[in-house]
Amino acid sequence: MAKKPATKPAPTSAPAPADSGPSANLQRPAAEVLYATELDKLAARDAAQPKPKGWKLTPRSVLSFVLGDEELGLAPKFVGSRAFLERAIVALATNRGLMLIGEPGTAKSYLSELLAAAISGDSTLTVQGSAGTTEDNIKYSWNYALLLAEGPSERSLVPAPVYRGMREGKIVRFEEITRCPIEIQDTLLSVLSDRVLAIPELDGPERSLFAQAGFNVIATANTRDRGVNDMSAALKRRFNFETVQPIGSIEDEMALVAREAGKMLARAAIPVSLQPDVVEVLVTTFHELRHGKTGDGKALEPLSTAMSTAEAVSCAYAAGIHAYYYGGGEVEPAHLVQHLVGAALKDAPDDVKKLSGYFNHVVKGRKRGAWPAYYEARKHLP
Amino acid sequence: MIDQLCDLSARAVFFPVRHHSPACARHVRALARAMKPAAVLIEGPSDFNDRVRELYLPHTLPIAIYSYVRLEDGARRGGYHPFCEYSPEWVALRTAKELKAVARFIDLPYADIANIDATTNRYADRGLAQSKFVARLCQRAGVETFDELWDAHFEADRDLPLEEFVRRAHQFCLHSRLMDDTVSESDRRRESFMAEQVRAALKEFKGRVLVVTGGYHSSALFARLNGIDFHGTKDHANEALTPDEGERGIALTPYSYERLDSLRGYNAGMPNPGFYHQAWRDAEAGRTDTHRALLARVAKVLRRAGQPISSADLIAAEGTAQGLAQMRGRTVVWRSDLVDGITGALIKEERAYNMRHPLLDAVHEVFRGGERGELAKGTALPPLVEDLKKQLKEHELEPRQVPRNVDLDLEKEADRERSRVLHRVRVLGIAGFNRTDGTDFAQRGNLVKLWERWDVRWSPDHDATAVEAARYGAALLDATAARLTERAEAVDRNAEEAATLVLDAAFAGLSNLAGEFAARLAAIVRADADFFSVTKALGHLLYLFVHDHVLSTSGRNDIGALFAEAYARGLWLLETLGQPSGKDRDATAGVAALLDAFERAGDALDFDRAELVGVFERVSASTHTAPILRGAALGALWTLGESDAHRARASLLLFADPARLGDFLTGLFALAREAVQRNPDLVVAVDQVVAAFGDEEFLEALPALRLAFTYFTPREKHHLGLTLLGALGIQEAASLTRLEVTASEMAEALAFEGRVWDAAKKYGVRLGDES
Repeated sequence: MAKKPATKPAPTSAPAPADSGPSANLQRPAAEVLYATELDKLAARDAAQPKPKGWKLTPRSVLSFVLGDEELGLAPKFVGSRAFLERAIVALATNRGLMLIGEPGTAKSYLSELLAAAISGDSTLTVQGSAGTTEDNIKYSWNYALLLAEGPSERSLVPAPVYRGMREGKIVRFEEITRCPIEIQDTLLSVLSDRVLAIPELDGPERSLFAQAGFNVIATANTRDRGVNDMSAALKRRFNFETVQPIGSIEDEMALVAREAGKMLARAAIPVSLQPDVVEVLVTTFHELRHGKTGDGKALEPLSTAMSTAEAVSCAYAAGIHAYYYGGGEVEPAHLVQHLVGAALKDAPDDVKKLSGYFNHVVKGRKRGAWPAYYEARKHLP
Repeated sequence: MIDQLCDLSARAVFFPVRHHSPACARHVRALARAMKPAAVLIEGPSDFNDRVRELYLPHTLPIAIYSYVRLEDGARRGGYHPFCEYSPEWVALRTAKELKAVARFIDLPYADIANIDATTNRYADRGLAQSKFVARLCQRAGVETFDELWDAHFEADRDLPLEEFVRRAHQFCLHSRLMDDTVSESDRRRESFMAEQVRAALKEFKGRVLVVTGGYHSSALFARLNGIDFHGTKDHANEALTPDEGERGIALTPYSYERLDSLRGYNAGMPNPGFYHQAWRDAEAGRTDTHRALLARVAKVLRRAGQPISSADLIAAEGTAQGLAQMRGRTVVWRSDLVDGITGALIKEERAYNMRHPLLDAVHEVFRGGERGELAKGTALPPLVEDLKKQLKEHELEPRQVPRNVDLDLEKEADRERSRVLHRVRVLGIAGFNRTDGTDFAQRGNLVKLWERWDVRWSPDHDATAVEAARYGAALLDATAARLTERAEAVDRNAEEAATLVLDAAFAGLSNLAGEFAARLAAIVRADADFFSVTKALGHLLYLFVHDHVLSTSGRNDIGALFAEAYARGLWLLETLGQPSGKDRDATAGVAALLDAFERAGDALDFDRAELVGVFERVSASTHTAPILRGAALGALWTLGESDAHRARASLLLFADPARLGDFLTGLFALAREAVQRNPDLVVAVDQVVAAFGDEEFLEALPALRLAFTYFTPREKHHLGLTLLGALGIQEAASLTRLEVTASEMAEALAFEGRVWDAAKKYGVRLGDES
């Protein structure tokens, strides 16, 4: 995994398989392992229901799995609009691929993992896109020793995720697809439209691998990286595009940041707690600068960085560590300001200007809670 | 109670509707046909009862019954009861006629409650849409809005039997009402009145009675008639009706789907009339593929706009919509399925949060529908046309065959009143009235004489445009306000255009910017990211708020609020402006506008001096900012008394660079013209800096320096020149040498000389006295 899905909410009930069995020592078990009991529960409910061919669950249960379901005791795993998820799931049930796009840190990869786990029971058929991705990584390659000894045959063929997904009728995840050169992306064209993979080296019926029902592709792409490689119109046509929005409700986001940063601090054995008013200040700043709009509707200059929830979490985490080792053990607004620059702003001088503008015009006017102290701390800005 | 309420065999049956719901319309018709009532009582203005006939003329829908009243405090209020083809009230009226039953409106005249209830759409759903019950139900049912909830349970399932539909609707409305904390006073009064009407009808008619009202009222009416103690049916003794006895009237007026769809908040009813219109027609024809017709229309709109939409795209949209409908447990593709299907399959790029997308705009255009109402021949003319005639006559402005010029002196009240009427007519786009000359209030070049010249003539389009404008309102003033609000909706983040609308409102004599209009204008100003347009808007608003004396806008709170908004926005944008390439003049004018705004209106509106000074300080010190802005900021500080000549001289050294000096001085002089004149030694300092330039450098700096000094009048320049000469110890200026050669020859000679000096210097040759 190239990216950590920091914006995922914690499961409210600790899933059993993670504590025992072979996955107990894994750093990060796959979603289908982590949530095996939930998936079993849903599968049992869906046993008699009609499902899209090759799916383990009905589309409705996939939705319940991702958004949570109080009646079945399923924890919500992703914060997002229901209509958006419905569209995404339905796209996978049709003959088009699903393309998740959005700012970095909006949990695209995590969502694709959840969807693959719920639909196919397997989220491991993953291609990681990069400038160095080749067709071999996507379709298949050869075991060269066997190839030389026996010639091309199914035995000497080494299947890559797309080959396996087609043969087994499963969802294939293609991460960061726009980081691949266009020619490499386009190898998906015939796979997505004709649902067939040609293997010219083999003879007879094995020359063509026809996809089993249930096969489809979830691709993700960062909107910030669209400039790296664009996509051909032909390939775009074969995908339904869905934009993963940052969390819309500021309350949801506050809860999530407090929980995730708290978990990270606990894992690092740092006994610092984040006060709600401090979290409010932090999340409000991220939220407002991300949307270019204050809570009461005033327009702001949006920053050039994404200001994602994931970055808010890491900023809160860094502030916590700072407070513990160099401060009084209590996270103060001043700690946040110091880490805003490193954790969120990266190195864009214009953003620093916009941020200080934000302090001078917006933060200054707020007199409640931690806001005044936050305003005082603006001296830490570069 | 619910069982009795749902008893369709009772003598009086209460049918609950959601206004503008095609499903309710269909079921109310079925019920009426089955029960053959003697009378159909409909929620609608009872003061229109003697003219119900007019509704049966062959109008083109949508139309509305418009009631208006002038309250005792002088305020004007107007309320609409809009009807479209699929309105349950409309269908109930038609069915009553078909069954030869008496149709009667039973609601209080709007004019009677206008003083306590300002909702203009009398068929809004505020009772239902705002209920806590609905919010909780949405959560449970996994839908996001009330409209989707309603669609899922009432509209999309066309095979729902009548009894089941009525029961479901009653249950839904009853619970919504019971979970509400209070029932508003106007609702209680209206229900008391309606109950009285039903009671009277039951006495008057022998047969059965069908009562068609909003579902929110049905249960209360039933309870009142049956003496059941029910939520919100207690009338307080002192609540005797005290209707306002002001001027009032009621008439039919054309309406449009645009207006029906653009209502928000308290005024909102069912959205997307274009969709339900199609759904109703398809249901009448027994078709179930409403979404196909709409999808085809969306494709047409998009293709017309030059978007390549292939058949494969449409298949994908259709497939996704079908899938969504199935997943949401529907047998037919409905409103949100289609929107989501199109969104999912056709949008191929990132969608910014809460932002418009051209494709979705096309979808909304189709879903809104373009139907515009037209009154049948023989209907009384719409009230607006009557009002227009009356006002034009009153002010002797009627259009005649022979064109004439009307000159108005705005210093005179009578002429001002005429000007307002003319501006209202202009804003509404009624043909035959053009302002051809007069004071330009947008440029404000010459405000010595305030006058206007209008060209007034009869035009063949006069009547047509007047009737057309009737959909904006029934009175000239209201219609103008509505038209301006509509224009504001169309402005996309351009503060200057917003300010122009305020000017228009002032010309038209709108004494205050109504809530929606003001909110929209404020939103436009807040969203504008262009410093120049915001500061220009600031200029217009400053004029209206402070300087105006003929438009009576000075010191008005609503203008002040908008002005403060533009001021705050301008300050914020100034700080992030950086390099205003090619717009130097506008940049200094912008800073001047901010300073002016603070000086003229800062006290009245309580602007924070420290904030302003802080912004100017930061801009003047910022190394990323263009010299002209830094100069302007410093000049502003100087004018405010927060800086002095010493600092100006010190800053000068920072800009001792031929490429920057002129720009810096331009900004400084533009904002601190007076302060500079009081401190002539600054000019001496400039002289020192310039004297240190080489010839080439001087020539480079010259154009910008010339520009900088144009901010002074010739007399001021003369004065500055004398000071400079005095400082240099030159008593009297020698007269300029007259050249015997042309300027270009002279320039060549100078350049040659320069090259000679350079060459000499390079080889270490001293020529004459060089120092």
